[in-house]
Amino acid sequence: MRSIEARGLTKEFKVYQSRSGLTGAFRDLFNRQYRTIRAVNGIDLTIEPGEIVGYIGENGAGKSTTIKMLTGILEPTGGCLRVNGYDPHREREEFVRTIGVVFGQRSQLWWDIAVKESFRLLKKLYRLSGEGYRQHLDRLVEVLEIGPFLDQPVRKLSLGQRMRCELAAALLHQPRLLFLDEPTIGLDVLVKENIRRFLKQVNAEYGTTILLTTHDLSDIEALCSRVVMLDKGNIIYDGDLERLRTQWGDGRRLILELKEEVPSFVLNEKTRGLSVKWEGEGTRYTARLEKGTTVSDVLSRLVPAVAVQELKIEEATTEDIVRRIYREGAAHA
Amino acid sequence: MFHVKLFFHYFMQYLKIRMAYRSDFLVQLATDLLFQAVNLVFILVVFSHTTELSGWTREEVIFIYGYFLVPFSFFSAFFNLWDFNERYIIKGELDRVLTRPAHSLYQVILETMTPESLTGAVTGFMVMGWAVKEMEVDFSWYDPFLFILFVAGGAAIYAGIYILLTSISLYSDSKTDIQPIMYNVGNYGRYPINVYNRVIQLVLTWVIPFAFVGFYPASFLLDKERWMTFALLTPLVGAVWLMLGVAVWNRGIRNYRGAGN
Repeated sequence: MRSIEARGLTKEFKVYQSRSGLTGAFRDLFNRQYRTIRAVNGIDLTIEPGEIVGYIGENGAGKSTTIKMLTGILEPTGGCLRVNGYDPHREREEFVRTIGVVFGQRSQLWWDIAVKESFRLLKKLYRLSGEGYRQHLDRLVEVLEIGPFLDQPVRKLSLGQRMRCELAAALLHQPRLLFLDEPTIGLDVLVKENIRRFLKQVNAEYGTTILLTTHDLSDIEALCSRVVMLDKGNIIYDGDLERLRTQWGDGRRLILELKEEVPSFVLNEKTRGLSVKWEGEGTRYTARLEKGTTVSDVLSRLVPAVAVQELKIEEATTEDIVRRIYREGAAHA
Repeated sequence: MFHVKLFFHYFMQYLKIRMAYRSDFLVQLATDLLFQAVNLVFILVVFSHTTELSGWTREEVIFIYGYFLVPFSFFSAFFNLWDFNERYIIKGELDRVLTRPAHSLYQVILETMTPESLTGAVTGFMVMGWAVKEMEVDFSWYDPFLFILFVAGGAAIYAGIYILLTSISLYSDSKTDIQPIMYNVGNYGRYPINVYNRVIQLVLTWVIPFAFVGFYPASFLLDKERWMTFALLTPLVGAVWLMLGVAVWNRGIRNYRGAGN
């Protein structure tokens, strides 16, 4: 059974459009105008058990709406959707036992009561019991190092502490599928590291499938083998991170500073046959290396003929890549 | 069974929080008592000018008021849905509720209940007790059972109406002021219905049946000759409204649009 299977998944919202001015407001009273917005536009998505998938997109791209459909909060307008073998919205109460949810910007725990009381209520809600539960809880407490503040109410915890408790709460019932919406937002580097390590461990140990949305692409780099990118309600990329880099990564760049001025045709002449594009003039040049050309290929041809003062190698970060994809649109993907 | 256990655990958590904020608890209790006292004084003031109100004596009206407090206190203890729009829709707590394995409305009720409002029932019994002592009332052996049925029906009517009104938030996230209005209309149910205009009587019986919460059952308990059909309809009307409320809620959940981030 697949973790997530969506075909043509669509969500539309009717938005009330107000007219401007006082007369407009008056007309709105009697005759409202609605506009239909497609937040998610017929996406196909299949996720196998055990995968860690990063779900990225700009604000308003439809990420949250998708996650809310996948977790059963919203009912899709169209398409078919099976998550863990259930229809998330119609079979909600049964279905949500098989998933864990962490929304970074909103607490899943009860604000006023101690963390361990929250856990106790969750235990009752999910009808957990027995030795298995105890052991699992102890293990979560130990690995996430949340023991010291189990007695404190959630509102007194720091963001990092709270996030670790949220993770424990989401995993109490040993879900097969874990949804994380911005799990590292606002956390410092060390806590981020810890949380990523923990997620990897959970994935390896229990085979938990993880779907993660984030703005921090270093999360994706650290965790995900697969990336799904969303733009204006459509999936514009679905594949592994490596392919994304090679396809969009623009290759590496070699930045050279030469000892004396050299015309650009000389450089082109020297690197003929390699896929290199030269930019610049005088003593400063940038070489874009494409399709398997290595830095040493280029240098071994250049160095005998041209005196190099300084060189720097640059590689596009995932962030650059994503920015570029959004700028240039989906046409190339 | 699961729901009963769940209720118990939420209740325990509620007590723990309440005890942590002791002064809050006392203030709440004092406000409730004061509120009930003001209503009682109002009745006494009315009767200091007259001895009868459309054929009802002072004691009878006070009894009806005391009776009304009982279903009303059950309603306010467990259907405290006043800030649903603010807390669950705008702040997005409903998203969390919907990712948990229990009925959404049941969870909301458990999270918002204020059992201390049940003290209103105690006041109600005291008021009724005083009124009964001043009058001569023949109670039958089955009256306590009817009483329980009536109270359940009355609380269900209130609950159904308020669940229905609360569900509006699920369709549209704009704030409506209909709840406080309804709250005021609800107060009409605790006075003898024949003091009102004919239209209001019809509305309170068939449209928004608040008369079933206080007046019909209470006057029937005082005198079996009066309003028998209406009084005995109370549990039925309660069941219908509660089901209606829950049905509209369930439909609303399918319409729910989620809170924006």
